[in-house]
Amino acid sequence: MTAYGVLRSEWVKFRSVRAMLGCLAGAVVAAGSYGYLFGTAAAREYLGASAADRAAFDPTETAFRALVLVGVLVSAVGVLAVTSEYAAGTMPVSITAVPRRGLLLLGKGAVVALTTLLVGPPLALLSFTLSQAALAAQGVPSVGPGDPGVPAALLGAGLFTGLIGLYGMALGFLLRRSAGAISLGTFLLILPGMASLFPKPVARWIVTWWPSAAGARIFAVHPGTELLTPLAGAGVLAATVLVLLCAAVAVFRGRDA
Amino acid sequence: MIELRQLTRRYGEVTVVDGLSFDVRPGVVTGFLGPNGAGKTSTMRMILGLDRPTSGSATIGGRRYADLPVPLREVGALLDAHAVHPRRTAFDHLLSLAYGNGIGRRRVEEVLGLVGLADVAGRRPGGFSLGMKQRLGIAVALLGDPPVVLLDEPVNGLDPEGIRWIRTLTRSLAAEGRTVLLSSHLMSEMALTADHLVVIGRGRLIADTGLEAFVQAAARQGVLVRTPDARRLAPLLRESGATVRPGVDGGLMVTGLSGAEVGGLAGAHGIVLHELTPRRASLEDAYLELTGDSVEFATSAAGVVS
Repeated sequence: MTAYGVLRSEWVKFRSVRAMLGCLAGAVVAAGSYGYLFGTAAAREYLGASAADRAAFDPTETAFRALVLVGVLVSAVGVLAVTSEYAAGTMPVSITAVPRRGLLLLGKGAVVALTTLLVGPPLALLSFTLSQAALAAQGVPSVGPGDPGVPAALLGAGLFTGLIGLYGMALGFLLRRSAGAISLGTFLLILPGMASLFPKPVARWIVTWWPSAAGARIFAVHPGTELLTPLAGAGVLAATVLVLLCAAVAVFRGRDA
Repeated sequence: MIELRQLTRRYGEVTVVDGLSFDVRPGVVTGFLGPNGAGKTSTMRMILGLDRPTSGSATIGGRRYADLPVPLREVGALLDAHAVHPRRTAFDHLLSLAYGNGIGRRRVEEVLGLVGLADVAGRRPGGFSLGMKQRLGIAVALLGDPPVVLLDEPVNGLDPEGIRWIRTLTRSLAAEGRTVLLSSHLMSEMALTADHLVVIGRGRLIADTGLEAFVQAAARQGVLVRTPDARRLAPLLRESGATVRPGVDGGLMVTGLSGAEVGGLAGAHGIVLHELTPRRASLEDAYLELTGDSVEFATSAAGVVS
C-alpha cells in the first residue's frame, strides 16, 4: 500500500469512467466555442463604443472568460471521480483495498489535480486563440500568445483548473451524490456572474472575494488595482479548496464506508 | 484467525451487534449464520474496518484491519457482488484494486482464470449475470492470495452450479489452511459447507459450535403429538421438562420426552391422543428453534401452544 501504488490504482479507475472523459471533452468544446463567442461579443461592443472606451479596451480581458464555464465541467470531473464510486457501490471495496482513507483520498486527489492541471493551459490557449481571432476578424485590436503577461496567464489557467478539479472532488466526498455535488458546485462557481442582482456592497464583495471570482484573477493579464492581484486571487481560491479538502478528509475518515 | 471481543455496534437506539465474542480459526470453514437482520453483514463490515464499532474490537491475527500494511494480501472479502462499476472492465476493476496493494497484472490474469472469467476479462460487468458478478467478487477476494477469506452470503441468488462452485471453492480454501468465514441465512447450505458454526440472532451470539455437535444436538428424538386437547396437554408436557413447539397441521412437536412418556402422561390425565409419532428433528428445525426468538419480522405462531 504505497503512495505510488494508490496513485496507479486511482488512475486505472479514472481512465475507465466515461462520464469524466465526457466532461473533459465538453470542456474542450466549451473553451473553444465560448472563447469565440466572447471574442465576437467583445468585438461588437468595441465597434459601438466611444473613442475613450476604445482607448481603454483590453483584448486580454475577453480571452479567458470562457474558463469559468470550463471550470463547471472541470469541477464535475472532480465530483465524478468520487461519486461514481458511491453510485456503483465500489467505495467499500476501494476502502478494503486501501483502508488508510487519507491515503486513498490523497491518491484520488493527485490523479484529479494532475489531470485537470494539465488540461488547463491547452484549454486556455484554445479559448485565447479563438477569442483573439474573433477580435482580429472584425479589425478590433488583439494580442498574440507571446505578448507580455499572456504566457503567465495561460500557465495560470492550469493552476485554476487544477484547484477547481480538487474543489469538485472535495464536494464529491462531502455530498456523495453526483447530482447534488454537481449542482451545488456549479451554482457556487457561477455565483459571481449573478453578483449584479445583489445590493452594491454585497456585489462588490462577491466580485472581489468569492473564491471562483478571486481565482479567475489568475488570468488577469493587466490586473489593475481595483481587484485582487492574480497571486492573491489564487491564494483565496487555494485556501478555500484546502478548507474543503480538510473537511472532506475529516468526513471521509469519520463515517461508515 | 479472526478475533472478536465484545464487538458492539449501535445506531442510535438500535443495537445491531451486541457484545459478540468469538474466534474464527484457520483450516476450517466457519459458517456465520443468523436470520436476516441478525447483524452478520454489520459484523463483517466491522472486521473489514468499514464500519466503526461502538465498543469492543475485531482483529485479524491481533491487528485491526486498518493497520494491515498490505490488506489484500492478508484478508480477502466479498461483501456485495453488485459493487462493480458497470463500465469498468473486469480486468481494470481487479487491476485498480491490485495496484494499491503492490499486486501486478499477472496475478490479475491468474485470478480471472481461477474463477473462470478469463474469456470476459475485457468486458464491462454491466452486462454480467449475477453468477458472473459473484465470480468477479470472489476474484477480488482471492487477488492477494490471502490467508483469511470472508464471504458475505456468497450463494444468494446463484444457480445450483454456482452454489456448488462456491461450496467446492470454500472447502478447498479451508483445506489449504486458510481461515474462511462464510455467512448465510440458510442452514441447509451451511450443513454442506461448514465445519464450524457461529449462530447469531439480534446481534447476540446464540451458538459457537462444531457442525458435528450441532447435528447431534439437533438429531435428538422428537415426538409429534396430535390431540384435540392441546391446551391441557402442552402445559403438562412442559411441567415434565419437555420442550413443546407447534408442529405441522396443529400438532405439537415435543422434544425431551420419549413417545412412551408422552403417551403415559396423556393417559394419566385422561387426554385423548389422535397421533403419537417419533420424529427426527432436522437441522433446519434445530436452527429455527435456536433463532426462533430472534427473527426480526416474526410471524405469529399458531395459537395452539400459547
